[in-house]
Amino acid sequence: MSNLNTKATANNTYDAIVVGSGISGGWAAKELTEKGLKVLLLERGRNIEHVKDYTTALKKPWEFEHRGRITEAQKEAHPVQKRDYPYSEFNESFWVNDHDCPYTEVKRFDWYRGFHVGGKSLMWGRQSYRFSDLNFEDNLKDGHGVDWPIRYKDLAPWYDYVEKFAGISGQNEGWPALPDGQFLPPMEMNCLEKDVKKRIEDKWKKSRIMTIGRVANLTVPHGGRGSCQYRNLCSRGCPYGAYFSTQSSTLPAAVATNNLTLRPFSLVNTIIYDKETQKAKGVVVIDSETKETIEYFAKIVFVNGSTLGSTFLLLNSTSNEHPNGLGNGSGQLGHNLMDHHFRCGASGRSEDFKDKYTYGRRANGIYIPRYRNMGNDKRDYVRGFGYQGGASRGNWHADVAEMAFGAEFKDQMTVPGAWTMGLGGFGESLPYHENRVYIDKSKKDKWGQPVLAIDCEFKDNERKMRVDMMNDAAEMLEAAGIKDVKTYDNGSAPGMAIHEMGTARMGHDPKTSVLNKWNQMHEVKNVFVTDGSCMTSAACQNPSLTYMALTARACDFAVSELKKGNL
Amino acid sequence: MDRREAVKNMAFLMGGALSATTIGVFLEGCNSPSTKTNGSLFTEDQLKMITEVADIIIPTTNTPGAKAAGVGPFIALMVKDCYPEDAQKAFVKGLEDLEEQSKDEFKKSFLEISVDQRQQLLSKLRDQTVVDTKAERDALDSQEKADREKKTTNPEDAKSQTENQEEVSILPKEKLNMKPRFFAIARDLTLLGYFTSETGATKAYEYVEIPGRYDGCADLKPGQRVWAS
Repeated sequence: MSNLNTKATANNTYDAIVVGSGISGGWAAKELTEKGLKVLLLERGRNIEHVKDYTTALKKPWEFEHRGRITEAQKEAHPVQKRDYPYSEFNESFWVNDHDCPYTEVKRFDWYRGFHVGGKSLMWGRQSYRFSDLNFEDNLKDGHGVDWPIRYKDLAPWYDYVEKFAGISGQNEGWPALPDGQFLPPMEMNCLEKDVKKRIEDKWKKSRIMTIGRVANLTVPHGGRGSCQYRNLCSRGCPYGAYFSTQSSTLPAAVATNNLTLRPFSLVNTIIYDKETQKAKGVVVIDSETKETIEYFAKIVFVNGSTLGSTFLLLNSTSNEHPNGLGNGSGQLGHNLMDHHFRCGASGRSEDFKDKYTYGRRANGIYIPRYRNMGNDKRDYVRGFGYQGGASRGNWHADVAEMAFGAEFKDQMTVPGAWTMGLGGFGESLPYHENRVYIDKSKKDKWGQPVLAIDCEFKDNERKMRVDMMNDAAEMLEAAGIKDVKTYDNGSAPGMAIHEMGTARMGHDPKTSVLNKWNQMHEVKNVFVTDGSCMTSAACQNPSLTYMALTARACDFAVSELKKGNL
Repeated sequence: MDRREAVKNMAFLMGGALSATTIGVFLEGCNSPSTKTNGSLFTEDQLKMITEVADIIIPTTNTPGAKAAGVGPFIALMVKDCYPEDAQKAFVKGLEDLEEQSKDEFKKSFLEISVDQRQQLLSKLRDQTVVDTKAERDALDSQEKADREKKTTNPEDAKSQTENQEEVSILPKEKLNMKPRFFAIARDLTLLGYFTSETGATKAYEYVEIPGRYDGCADLKPGQRVWAS
């Protein structure tokens, strides 16, 4: 390293580098800067400034040329993003051009990505649920994957901590499999939801419960941010800062410390390993606009580039000491990829509450936490699922003829129709070793990097679970008095839930896991990975809140180790 | 739940039954290469026809109709920008056929016949579209059933947890490759264009830009219209 310009090295040196500015990277930047570290936050995409750059947030429906639909030209540039509804005219610029960043689908895997400051924290679904000991113990009990190196008590205070800052609205229920939290006032259920809740809880004697979604939307002003205006346009960016995102929440906190340097257009290509110290000493960045290569140095590195982004970076960071990827002595890096499987459930209509309607557009629904394979319940599959859903009243009328048109039809369409209620399952998938990603050198991305190959599928356990996900939904709706209940299974491909996780898992044993109980690499002590790649199992809850809590906890540990001189 | 809502709201917006072509275009994306057309797909008279067809589908009642809401130009734009070439061709052909039908039956151009006569033509076209769509769907379904019966593997025979044979896949099914049909596309786009237009959203529906609060159990007021979203 004698050829390094020492002055340049000094100028490019920070206490900590955080790779990625999404949900977990934003938290890492906030925590580390607040603890006094000089932090370089690297983001591969462009900057999006809070409010100012939410260019569609205040547009009315008729101000969108294609009323939200995407054009043939946009579909051509987005062959993956177009596969499901999130990619639309309403927030088109938040999604990647798939041709810039190809990947190899050994089997179908829908990889949804947004390259910009804030990452998917701008477009996320905001459902925020704690994991419980049921989840932390499942791997150990049924033998799939490896044991989580932590239990609920390790994470509980950090859930408290991140909930208080992020602002999660919800209702405490005392349900063991879905621990209570530090919630802002819950959003309101509508009248049909309240009725369905009561009937389900009566029928199953509270062995199944229904609660309002716990959601990272503010029901009261909080931390200088405005409360939800019930427009239900969150995924365009919120001009009121009413939902948690990097921009609304963690980034302003980090900036306020004067310890943060944010560098957009900074694609981290490799982490530099120093064999003398056996630690990482910095990162190689490709400027994603100019393609210029720059090195930055720091005492600790937090890897928060999204599950598969981070995994690619680690696999791509090879050295004599780490020939198969940084910290990959276990061979587990890239393996055990999980996502939730969903898109199946039931729905129907109600004949009640004809004299009632709703006001406002609630960006939230209801949640039925897992009840399967708990207590004495034993199914022909392991783990379980939860339901998201809700009731609404639109212009659906049972008696509209097929392809009706004309005056009578028009007038009918403008009158509120029947209430409808639906439940859609979100199921846990198992950490199968053979569900994996690896580097494919036969292709290159726009920046000259090799690409990721993804080889992942749902299997028999998930397939069996879906039978219950569908039938239980119908059974509960029927028990709740819903009419014309119809089940559906629209099929689910890995990636579609955008809850990919598990490819750099935590564990007790360096031989079978990549990270220890502090999200610290077993083999490279100053590298921490706290996005979805760290997950040892998937549970069935939406995972982002757990990434936040794990990140805050890991930052606390990292700084205390740094102060002790251990890093 | 946002995901589910998005799909559901779309179906409701469309009056419950979207054409397979439109579902493909709007919800799943379309695999056909885009058209390289630069100019308009339509003649001046065809553009006028689109407007008149839309106004039959959503006419003026006690609220303005599709024509007043500017739905005609919207449909032309959408067919050009958002539909694959086979659907564009089917749409243009549909306009040509409709014009021919008008001349056969009424000895006049579609633009010259009365509203009543236009309704007659479109009713006939609608009935034919319903019949054709059902026949095609039945044929595709029985084809699929036959294909499934050919594969004798019982899903329960999958050898292990870790073996997911093609037969037990839970991947989304390939979408039915239904023929694009003029009337179905025209109706889908009229409903979409009308109820999301300023006129449709604020006069036929009721639009509140910033509700500011949520009431999940409000009294339904007499004359209450559906909320635009």
